[in-house]
Amino acid sequence: MQELDQWKEQISHLLNVANDHIREIPTDQLYAAAAIAVFTTLLLLLLRFFKRSKPNTIVLTGLSGSGKTVLFYQLRDGSTHQGTVTSMEPNEDTFILHGETTKKGKIKPVHIVDVPGHSRLRPKLDEYLPQAAGTVFVVDALDFLPNCRAASEYLYDLLTKGSVVRKKIPLLILCNKTDKVTAHTKEFICRQLEKEIDKLRVSRSAVSDADVTNEFTLGVPGEPFSFKQCSNTVITADASGLTGEISQLEEFIRQHVKP
Amino acid sequence: MLEQLLIFTRGGLILWSCKELGNALKGSPIDTLIRSCLLEERSGAASYNYDAPGASYSLKWIFHNDLGLVFVAVYQRILHLLYVEDLLAAVKREFSQVYDPSRMVYRDFDEVFKQLKIEAEARAEDLKKSNPVVVNGNRKSQVTWKGDGSEGKKNGAGGGGGGGLKNDGDGKNGIKSESDRFVVANGNSANGNNNNGSNLKSNGGNVSVNDKDNDSLNNGAFDVNRLQKKVRNKGGNGKKTDSVVSKAEPKKLVKKNRVWDEKPKETKLDFTDKVDVDRDADLDRKVDYLAKEQGESMMDKDEILSSDSEDEEEDGDDAGKNSNKPDAKKKGWFSSMFQSIAGKANLEKSDLEPALKALKDRLMTKNVAEEIAEKLCESVAASLEGKKLASFTRISSTVHTAMEEALVRILTPRRSIDILRDVHAAKEQRKPYVVVFVGVNGVGKSTNLAKVAYWLQQHNVNVMMAACDTFRSGAVEQLRTHARRLQIPIFEKGYEKDPAIVAKEAIQEASRNGSDVVLVDTAGRMQDNEPLMRALSKLIYLNNPDLVLFVGEALVGNDAVDQLSKFNQKLADLASSPTPRLIDGILLTKFDTIDDKVGAALSMVYISGAPVMFVGCGQSYTDLKKLNVKSIVKTLLK
Repeated sequence: MQELDQWKEQISHLLNVANDHIREIPTDQLYAAAAIAVFTTLLLLLLRFFKRSKPNTIVLTGLSGSGKTVLFYQLRDGSTHQGTVTSMEPNEDTFILHGETTKKGKIKPVHIVDVPGHSRLRPKLDEYLPQAAGTVFVVDALDFLPNCRAASEYLYDLLTKGSVVRKKIPLLILCNKTDKVTAHTKEFICRQLEKEIDKLRVSRSAVSDADVTNEFTLGVPGEPFSFKQCSNTVITADASGLTGEISQLEEFIRQHVKP
Repeated sequence: MLEQLLIFTRGGLILWSCKELGNALKGSPIDTLIRSCLLEERSGAASYNYDAPGASYSLKWIFHNDLGLVFVAVYQRILHLLYVEDLLAAVKREFSQVYDPSRMVYRDFDEVFKQLKIEAEARAEDLKKSNPVVVNGNRKSQVTWKGDGSEGKKNGAGGGGGGGLKNDGDGKNGIKSESDRFVVANGNSANGNNNNGSNLKSNGGNVSVNDKDNDSLNNGAFDVNRLQKKVRNKGGNGKKTDSVVSKAEPKKLVKKNRVWDEKPKETKLDFTDKVDVDRDADLDRKVDYLAKEQGESMMDKDEILSSDSEDEEEDGDDAGKNSNKPDAKKKGWFSSMFQSIAGKANLEKSDLEPALKALKDRLMTKNVAEEIAEKLCESVAASLEGKKLASFTRISSTVHTAMEEALVRILTPRRSIDILRDVHAAKEQRKPYVVVFVGVNGVGKSTNLAKVAYWLQQHNVNVMMAACDTFRSGAVEQLRTHARRLQIPIFEKGYEKDPAIVAKEAIQEASRNGSDVVLVDTAGRMQDNEPLMRALSKLIYLNNPDLVLFVGEALVGNDAVDQLSKFNQKLADLASSPTPRLIDGILLTKFDTIDDKVGAALSMVYISGAPVMFVGCGQSYTDLKKLNVKSIVKTLLK
């Protein structure tokens, strides 16, 4: 207790000293100091506000094994290095696209996140979607039919996410591995996905009376589903991660994150 | 031989792989390892077995959590490669020095690896030569040794009494030596090892001196010091034998030591020495190896040794604790706060232990099976060890978030649990969707079958029930009552029929009258009941249902593990096809009765890998819900 009292005394003494010191300073100087402090905080807040209003994040999603990590490294380094294995954690990085490094002038870097496709890791997606300027849904065009249902379920979940619908985050369905001869065309994949989602619409709306719900329903009731009915824009494109054929992907990214 | 060694980031980029090994792996063991082991919170296990057509691999792995690296070694399972763990640790050590996040190619690591591999192989070779018995991994040998040691101790304590009593009556040789041994062990554990010689002396006295003394010995309850005094007081004859035996005893000690050294080969001793000199790291290995010996041989003197070493260990531990405690107190809140601001360098297992223990206890109070809580904590520890603690965080909160992530990951279903979608798909193929409800007695199979039927009916699906519980009296009537109330057709054949046949006929009937879903009710059975499990296996094999739903009550605690694993095991064992049907989903019943003890959900999902598809939470037909993962995780960690 004695110590505490001593401390109290010391503190009050220090306060007195500080008070005296402040009185010695001319008032206009004080005002100036206060004004500067207010100005800087405002500036910082403004900066933050502007930064947030223009997201530069592109999220790569898709089933496990569709080639997201390869695309990520193709975008960043222009090479697949020595191949990849199933991801256990998201890859994220902010960089200037490899294809644009030769361009002159100032280019805004893109923040790209590769979210693992394993179903146990999907909750991670919710962390990144709110800041996303665009999402890329990667589909394995080579091995499409066996995974068609799983892919469309994932896509359905993605399209009915609250953050996607509310912010109208544009979506690119990227058919990967098109360098292989037996790969399906993007039109075919698109049609199959629409068909599957149409079926899902029925069963999922039935589930919604249970307590796990998708916040929004898709499409127009009574009409077969097509991607045109989505509130956000949905487009399709081809790519090949292994051979580095990713111009359409880069185009999409630059469309939504202006250089 | 080693098939492959890979280094990759947790993000999935391969940083380095052994080019010279270069054998193409059959199948994709690495991806399978990640998907079915590392992502399922089973990374606490020691190794993983991968089977592909034409190949069976064993995989071992090691994490570098701070840098986010994974090291995986693949080798043929038939070869028990001793050096793999050693090699992985060495590779981890060396690679973490050259690792740079911005660098992607590590060509120069080839040389380092070659060197490491040769070293590891040589060490393993030495070990093999020196002791052909060692086949198991180090970890295992350590465990067995510990167990033996404590057992030996117990024996010594318990047997001492017995030996003494026997001594009372007769002085046969065998018994003599036995009592010798036991008293020695006993004295040791009581007194520590500093007065071995005097103990032995007293022993000698004990044996040679007559009944009187032995009586007093028994009364004195093995107070060795008193005994010594007595022996010394006696003098004369007693003393003589004393000296004789005490001479003999130390000799014996040496002899015994030699015996377990000589056992394998003559040249062995030299080898261990060599190995010892070779490398500091081998010291550990040597200790392990010694321990292994003790565990194996169970010889008399080993008990002394093991108890000694244990005593020492305990002493060491005590000393460590004693020296640590004041430290911890001295540190106080200021240093801990400083640590929390600055961020701790690297988390070690000892740092994590208290937090993990608390977490494990919390999980267990929520009715999570102990085994599973243990495994989960191990896995979380494996994922955190070596990581940097971020500033402004405490260890407990870090562990907490890691556990939360792990729980969400486990409970998030791996396969789609959208039954209606599956039903529609089956409808397109014009065949009924068959669901079989299995489970132990009295968990609510029939009740929840009715609830599922009601739910399906609500969504315009034509349901049919099949009463395949032909075992319990009243079961068919119960189901009939539900069917009448819900206006659902029911297929029944009375009692004493083979349920598999009844189910088969029910499915045929369903495809005739255009039902979309057949819900098959089966008799409740305990997981150990072989004949009934065989019948169930037959039912499932014969009808090949689309969904095998395990009905389990949420009240169950540790038994959940046993139930599910046994059900799965029996289904796999008793199936006649090479690809047996296992449990596809779980229906958790009586969820309204357990308040916050939701651990059964976690136990069941973890052990079977199947998702919880429905949750029964009441008496009426509407009380069927889906599992809300977030709220479960929140409740578990509350």
